[in-house]
Amino acid sequence: MNALISLTLANIRSFLRDRAAIFWTLAFPILFVILFGSIFSSDGPNAFDVGWVDQDGTPASAGLRQGFEGTGLLHLTDGDEQSTLAQMRDGDLDAVIVVPDGVGEVLLPPIGAGGLVGASGDQPVSLLLYTDPSQQTTSTTIQQIVGQVVSVTNQALSGRPPVLAVQPQSLQTADIGAAAYFVPSILAMALMQLGVFSAIPLVEQREKLILKRLGATPLRRWTLVSSNIAMRLLIALVQSVLIVGIGAALFSVTIVGNLLLVAGFIVLGSITFISIGYVIASYARTEESANALTSIVQFPLMFLSGIFFPIDFMPDFLRPIATLMPLTYLGDALRQVMVGGAPFAPLPIDALVLTGWLVVSFLISARFFRWQ
Amino acid sequence: MRGPEDAAGHGTAVIVARDLRKRYGAVHAVDGVTFEVQRGEVFGMLGPNGAGKTTTVEMLEGLRKPDAGQALVLGIDAAREPGRLKERIGVQLQTAALYPNLTVTELIDLFGSFYRRRRPTRELVAALDLEERKDALTKVLSGGQRQRLSVALALINDPELIFMDEPTTGMDPQARRSLWDLVRKLRERGTTVLLTTHYMEEAEQLCDRIAIMDHGKVLEMGTVSELVQRRFQELSVRFDARPGLEEDRLSALPGVSRVVREDGAVALYTRDVAGTIGGLLATSRELGQEPTNLAVRRATLEDVFLDLTGRALRD
Repeated sequence: MNALISLTLANIRSFLRDRAAIFWTLAFPILFVILFGSIFSSDGPNAFDVGWVDQDGTPASAGLRQGFEGTGLLHLTDGDEQSTLAQMRDGDLDAVIVVPDGVGEVLLPPIGAGGLVGASGDQPVSLLLYTDPSQQTTSTTIQQIVGQVVSVTNQALSGRPPVLAVQPQSLQTADIGAAAYFVPSILAMALMQLGVFSAIPLVEQREKLILKRLGATPLRRWTLVSSNIAMRLLIALVQSVLIVGIGAALFSVTIVGNLLLVAGFIVLGSITFISIGYVIASYARTEESANALTSIVQFPLMFLSGIFFPIDFMPDFLRPIATLMPLTYLGDALRQVMVGGAPFAPLPIDALVLTGWLVVSFLISARFFRWQ
Repeated sequence: MRGPEDAAGHGTAVIVARDLRKRYGAVHAVDGVTFEVQRGEVFGMLGPNGAGKTTTVEMLEGLRKPDAGQALVLGIDAAREPGRLKERIGVQLQTAALYPNLTVTELIDLFGSFYRRRRPTRELVAALDLEERKDALTKVLSGGQRQRLSVALALINDPELIFMDEPTTGMDPQARRSLWDLVRKLRERGTTVLLTTHYMEEAEQLCDRIAIMDHGKVLEMGTVSELVQRRFQELSVRFDARPGLEEDRLSALPGVSRVVREDGAVALYTRDVAGTIGGLLATSRELGQEPTNLAVRRATLEDVFLDLTGRALRD
């Protein structure tokens, strides 16, 4: 145990003193997030597309509609609840407002947009407002706009208790927005690189006979391997916090899923790619060939895994390759658990495919890895 | 095999190598090596690169499994229980293998964490004269400092037996001498040392006994004087070559068995130094000459090596 801790500490110290390693594992993914973020999340739309479901059908509700349109911030599309929610799920609408039956009873004849005189009512009637919390900016902006209109309406009926309220509802949409798409993707890419790049120091340590020297001590090999994995997992944690933090701070991409699931996939993904790194280190004899092999492995992974664009956008002949790539499933899983992205595969399948790659890579490196 | 180990008995032998063999493809890297090393000895394995020294040592350290034969080190079968053996021996590999981005102290601490028994880091830093560099990253150390650090790592578990593979290769003469002093100190502490080298002088200066290896075999073994006397009972009488002192006249001098000319000098091999020199002086006087640079020389380890392998051992 003492040896495991000391070795892990030594690995971390070595890592922290290696500027190139720090750049590639920590700074590079962050630059990527910022770069992609500024390219894709150009200013949001001038008006939000909102579904309007009028179940009341009175002049009062029609007046309310005018009130919302009058803000100039919402572009309303009429429809029934089912069809507008379906449109929203598909990403065609940013939100849906449902005006329930009974609004007309609490609001008396509409005088004009934004100015209504109402009759008394004991219970406020609630408008249902569906938004997608994974799109934080859009969601909160729309909630604020709707809240403003409702409070102006209530104020117009001054002296009476509020008659209108808003009941927010959450709805996961398929269109998770560019930023929400690439933040989990870049996290997946960073974890992949962290794992695959573990081949390089391993081969370097073998070439410089550090592994051989360690082999001349009573240190057990599993302790050596465990400490390498422990160090990589710690770095993965730091990477994840940085990437998620920057995504949240600059592009309002927040984790909507279960944090434990997110952490679970980060760990599973990291270990899977570390074991792929060990496979590379099993075949690379020199540091140069390890460098070349990691590039050969990481570039197809990066571009054929739906990391930068959804697999649906790929030409047909590339899709079968994409469906084999482990990074496809890590990216898919992270998008699902982090921002509620539409699944490419169900989560258990993602976990299963990653575990499959892990087991196969482990067996290959257990058989072919050379210590000297 | 001749040598004192037969008489010494098994009680004090810390290394027993019996007919060790290791093949790589068609190459017999180690081809039936047998020897013993006694407690407290500095034992040298001398031979050119590729002689099989490193492979032999690595089998004794439990790093490689022999194809055949047995390596008993500190009474432990190195092939069967390498883990138990590694706890008790110190190892210095041919190439100093270090973490470039750790400091001297950090590296010693790290290696200390691998062993149950360990010497304090401060003590080792002081013993190996690394005090001024204790907070330096290992990648900025000089060759000599690096080598001393690598010895410190080998001593971290206070081993009773230490293996040093080519410890002074690539060192400048000053660093080499300071490492020799270190080995002598180890010897004074009673530590057994097995070292490999391809420097004659190192073997002569440091080793109680030497095994000369070539092509995977031990060609000869013993103390330096044993090795020399076994092959060369004669001394050589050397002087500058002069016209007139021809081969037939020289070989007719008393006691001379061989006449060798090398680099403008003549060497007369003889068992009767006084008779040979007397005859030489008399002959020279007859010719009206006096031999210049006259010297008597005992054969060296280098002569033994040359005689055994047919080639000189130089790096």
